Amino acid sequence: MHIMEGFLPGPWWQIWFAVAIPVIVYGIYKLNRLVKENREILPLLAVAGAFIFVLSALKLPSVTGSCSHPTGTGLAAILFGPAITAVLGTIVLLYQALFLAHGGLTTLGANVFSMGIVGPVVAYTIYKVGMKMNLNFYLVVFLAATLGDWATYVVTSLELALAFPADPGGVMGSFKVFATIFAVTQVPLAIIEGAITALIFKYIIQVRSDMLARLNVLSDAAISKIKGAIS
Amino acid sequence: MRNLLDDYALVSRLRYRNVWLKLTIAAFGLLVGVSSTSPATPLFIALSMSFATVFFGKTPLKFYLTVLLIPMGFAIVGSLVILFFFGSGSEVFYFEVFGYRLTANAGGLEMAILVISRTLSGMSCMFFLALSTPVIELFAVLKRSGIPDSVIELSMLMYRYIFVFLEVSMSIKHAQTVRLGYTNLRRSLYSVAMLASTLFLRSYEQGEKLYLAMNSRCYDGKLSLFETKRPIRATEAVLASIYAVAALSLM
Repeated sequence: MHIMEGFLPGPWWQIWFAVAIPVIVYGIYKLNRLVKENREILPLLAVAGAFIFVLSALKLPSVTGSCSHPTGTGLAAILFGPAITAVLGTIVLLYQALFLAHGGLTTLGANVFSMGIVGPVVAYTIYKVGMKMNLNFYLVVFLAATLGDWATYVVTSLELALAFPADPGGVMGSFKVFATIFAVTQVPLAIIEGAITALIFKYIIQVRSDMLARLNVLSDAAISKIKGAIS
Repeated sequence: MRNLLDDYALVSRLRYRNVWLKLTIAAFGLLVGVSSTSPATPLFIALSMSFATVFFGKTPLKFYLTVLLIPMGFAIVGSLVILFFFGSGSEVFYFEVFGYRLTANAGGLEMAILVISRTLSGMSCMFFLALSTPVIELFAVLKRSGIPDSVIELSMLMYRYIFVFLEVSMSIKHAQTVRLGYTNLRRSLYSVAMLASTLFLRSYEQGEKLYLAMNSRCYDGKLSLFETKRPIRATEAVLASIYAVAALSLM
């Protein structure tokens, strides 16, 4: 969910830029190192970024009738790690603002923070922890994508609440209101995105599991174990 | 799905104007609009930018209004929250929902109006840029601004492949719809997942091919760009400065 252009007053939009930029710079540093090591990765990352953009332009079927868009952040975080996802996410958000009128330029920092940084970090952490605990792979992917998605809504609500504190109740008061409107209503959407992400992984494993091994998402042993479970 | 602002930028009358001038106008409006404390300035900016986009740029008015509606849904929900929970002052009006009293006071009302007008002005400045400048022309500007080459290259390749994949996803979606893939929620979930995973696999393969193709053409990590020189005309400069002075004097 994007915060629209002009919605955040100063100094909040500057603050979110200040928070987001160091992470993006770190992501660029990691990206440069990866590219130096293996030049094959740059075209691959570019198509991955384009894929995230197209994914986010797809309309999701939704229970409530309103249409919504997948964020694709969980998927990207699992595939490429959170640092690279931050860079890809920034470019995707910029294109979304310029092509689809979703989000904005002054609010780019806040949107990058919620969708390009916190969401992927949460998804990635859950994925790593879940895999360590030897849980079912699809369950882990589902949880990572759902909670990562949901975390972005919570952070967006927090960003809005900080900028517009309620008069009686302060930041916590308006956080509750924004969170009920945005974070609670988005729970079904987050679950749908989680289910779709898990299904995407199922198809990828069935068709081209070698790809996941090459991206270092899963080891060969893990893939054969999952494949064994399906058949 | 294929209603990208970029498509309209390609046919805009303002396309062949100086990129830096357009960028400055948009950035000026964005910054002034977001930092103004009265709704008059943002509304003035919104009106002038929309006028410039529709009248000078010849963007179809109907399309312009529909894209302007996209952010308004979000802005209205957000402002309602501000209206009822923000600020102090005398009570303006209230109503009861499930025995819960929602009161709007003067401070909240003022803030809600201000936020809506800021969103309007910000969006119209962004649309002015997005509907008059194709993204390709912004790359040269980005290159000059000192952003690392790897990032610019990444964005350029992404830009190219966005259009390729949009086409692919649209044809897959048509094929799925014809085969009743979206008749109920369960089926749509499977269809969307299938679409996305096929798209991912296709894009991965495309990425491998792209690397081979670029490598065999001596790709060394740099794509060169050239910036076309388009001098700023006197009338444009005068119009832009009149607009800037007017906006600032309204502050």
